[in-house]
Amino acid sequence: MKNYPIWKSFTVISLVLLGIIFAIPSIIYDENSENWFLKNKINLGLDLQGGSYLLLEVQLDVLYKEELDNFVDSVRLISRDQAVKIEKIDIQENEVVVFFANKEKIKDIRDSFFQMYRGVTLQINNNKLSIKLNDEYRKIIQDSAIKQSLEIVRKRIDESGTKEPLIQRSGKKRILLQLPGVKDPERIKDLLGKTAKLTFHIVDNDNTSALQNNLAPFGKIIVSDMYDENTKYLLDKRAVVGGENLVDAKGSFDQTEGHAVSFRFDTEGAQKFGKVTTNNIGKNLAVVLDGVVITAPRISSAITGGSGIITGNFNAQEASDLAVLLRAGALPAPLEIVEERSVGAGLGADSIAAGQIAAIIGMVLVCVFMILIYGTFGALANVSLIVNLFIIISLLGTIGATLTLPGIAGIVLTIGMAVDANVLIFERIKEESLKQTKVFLIVKNGFDRAMSTILDANITTLIAAVLLFAFGSGPIRGFSITLSLGVIASMFTALMLTNFLVYMYLSIANKKKLIL
Amino acid sequence: MFGLNKIIPVDPNINFLGLRRNFLIFSILAILFSIGLLSIKGLNLGIDFKGGTLIEVSTKNTSIGELREILSSSYSDVSLQEFGNENIILIRLQNKSNQESIETVNSVKNLIQDKVVEFRRSEFVGPTISSELLFRGFQAVSFALIAILIYIWLRFEWQFGFGAVVALTHDVLFTLGLLSILNVEFSLATIAAILTIAGYSINDTVVIFDRVRENLRKYKKLELVDLFNLSVNNTLSRTIMTSLTTLLALVSLFIFGGEVIRPFALTMIIGVIIGTYSSVFIAVPTLLIFKFRPQDEDD
Repeated sequence: MKNYPIWKSFTVISLVLLGIIFAIPSIIYDENSENWFLKNKINLGLDLQGGSYLLLEVQLDVLYKEELDNFVDSVRLISRDQAVKIEKIDIQENEVVVFFANKEKIKDIRDSFFQMYRGVTLQINNNKLSIKLNDEYRKIIQDSAIKQSLEIVRKRIDESGTKEPLIQRSGKKRILLQLPGVKDPERIKDLLGKTAKLTFHIVDNDNTSALQNNLAPFGKIIVSDMYDENTKYLLDKRAVVGGENLVDAKGSFDQTEGHAVSFRFDTEGAQKFGKVTTNNIGKNLAVVLDGVVITAPRISSAITGGSGIITGNFNAQEASDLAVLLRAGALPAPLEIVEERSVGAGLGADSIAAGQIAAIIGMVLVCVFMILIYGTFGALANVSLIVNLFIIISLLGTIGATLTLPGIAGIVLTIGMAVDANVLIFERIKEESLKQTKVFLIVKNGFDRAMSTILDANITTLIAAVLLFAFGSGPIRGFSITLSLGVIASMFTALMLTNFLVYMYLSIANKKKLIL
Repeated sequence: MFGLNKIIPVDPNINFLGLRRNFLIFSILAILFSIGLLSIKGLNLGIDFKGGTLIEVSTKNTSIGELREILSSSYSDVSLQEFGNENIILIRLQNKSNQESIETVNSVKNLIQDKVVEFRRSEFVGPTISSELLFRGFQAVSFALIAILIYIWLRFEWQFGFGAVVALTHDVLFTLGLLSILNVEFSLATIAAILTIAGYSINDTVVIFDRVRENLRKYKKLELVDLFNLSVNNTLSRTIMTSLTTLLALVSLFIFGGEVIRPFALTMIIGVIIGTYSSVFIAVPTLLIFKFRPQDEDD
């Protein structure tokens, strides 16, 4: 084979072999294989293997409002200590304005307040103290809320038994979840839809007028029953003990109580719980979950063992879900589902089958067409095209990219576009053959002249693909990946493999004349 | 050696540029028509950009009419559509709030539970997300156009960049206009298709421009119109070949690739045809505005 360096043939052949060998894991596709080689297979996106994608948004406004409420409570306590009367408290969107009866001790109040909440903006204007949630303070709240939420979401998903979930922060206040194989996201959504803030409060049965007027005095709150909105309880606002002191919770069944959740406190919780139950025998203790009372049994004796059960009208699933929520802990703020995409395994399998058929038929059509137009040269280009497909598959597998339905579309599109480089070369060869008679010179010039055009033409497609990757989301990124890999692979196969094949063919067939 | 390539003449000599006025008028009318359609009728926005809920079910022993009856008693804003075959039905709902949609999905599922074999897919896009997605889509398309312009500008003279962008804008607007007439659903995948069309059309244009540049160097005395004609003719068989192979793959995707991918394939088919047309009949004639040779001015 004259004119063709051995190192070049060696490089081309080994790259082609690598491309074919590393496509094998994706073609065999053994899902559970632990073999290092077979693990290099394509990951299927949720739209192909079935599963759920959820985007959750942390409801930060709720947290800001809660913090403003905390400000009000604290300022009340401080002014009570300082014996200053508060005339009015104005809660606005972003700040609390407190009007005091006189301005003598207002600076002291401000200083004590600042001791408790460093970082807030405090302003005194005559007898008015304004407490503002500034941007830095909000950012601190935001960051810690997202971090906590992520952790809690992760625990809840783990507890639910979902395999290989992907849980990550997305943007400023969102959490992205990918749950492969989850057929019914309803249960997951239920688990994530609850804040699961559990607190225990002493019930105030003495002050009946407060309930009648539906007006809670300072230090008390009115909470309705979980099962009957019209049943209200007046509770101490201060919780005796909360869910953060739980170390374990599980669903249990009792002949008399039915399904229930049994729980155990840590040492601190057990101590608090023991003390309160000792001091309040005869009173009721309300179990409050997310702002409603589940149950409010009478304390008949001191509970010092640090464990107990929560009864309600639960069924088995509800009791075990509540136990999951309590074990995982409370979310700092409610989560809202802002985007959901769930695909059943049936549709996923249909999409893969349809994609395969489209790819095979597209391939056959293009190959037949190339042979019809370019004859033997077309057949050589077809070899390149098939190798091109293997290379795309092996690259997808080895870099661990995810194949999505638009990704399959990208592959089919690439089949049509990949021959372009070959066409450019063949057309140049055709033109050169009108000027030259030396076969190898014709081919050499053809490849050389087509080179810069091929580069220019493909780089513009790559630019579009890269931008699509940068701005696109999920499945669309899959398209830009296969398109980019396809374009890159097609440049290699045309400029190196087709080149090699054409030289091989011409040397073996020993052509003296070239008509294309 | 056999091969049908001889049916495309090796050295065709078709006077493309002579027809430029007709095509220019056609394109201007098409663009005006597209702009009119886009502003009056608009695009058929899918839930990606409009927000809302979509549920795909496969059914048994029922008809779309029956399902519609069941659902429309509870929801005023529900639309049903057969998707590929009569047993697969797509249900779309509009909701005001995120919370409401989650509940809607559940209650729709309960209402039609006994008529359904499988819930194949359910998608929900909230109002904040859909407007974000739309914004990002626009960003992607505009940045792509700018980046391509910069690339052409660096590789060629700026006049070529101008020609390419005129052709590209033409392709995007024309394609959008046709999508509007055909009422093709506009989704994230459509944005991907538009960007790919931009890449493809530029690819086509660049190949011809490459030849124009080469010929400008080679034939210093040739009239510009003749030189452009020659360049288009030189690259004609490549232009046709590549468009045809791409279309073959896309038609296969359109027919066999499944219902979900069909709007994408259709958009691409439209775009490839328009992109090929514009490279020859819009991008190249645009270059005539500029005088590439100093000696032309001397004449």
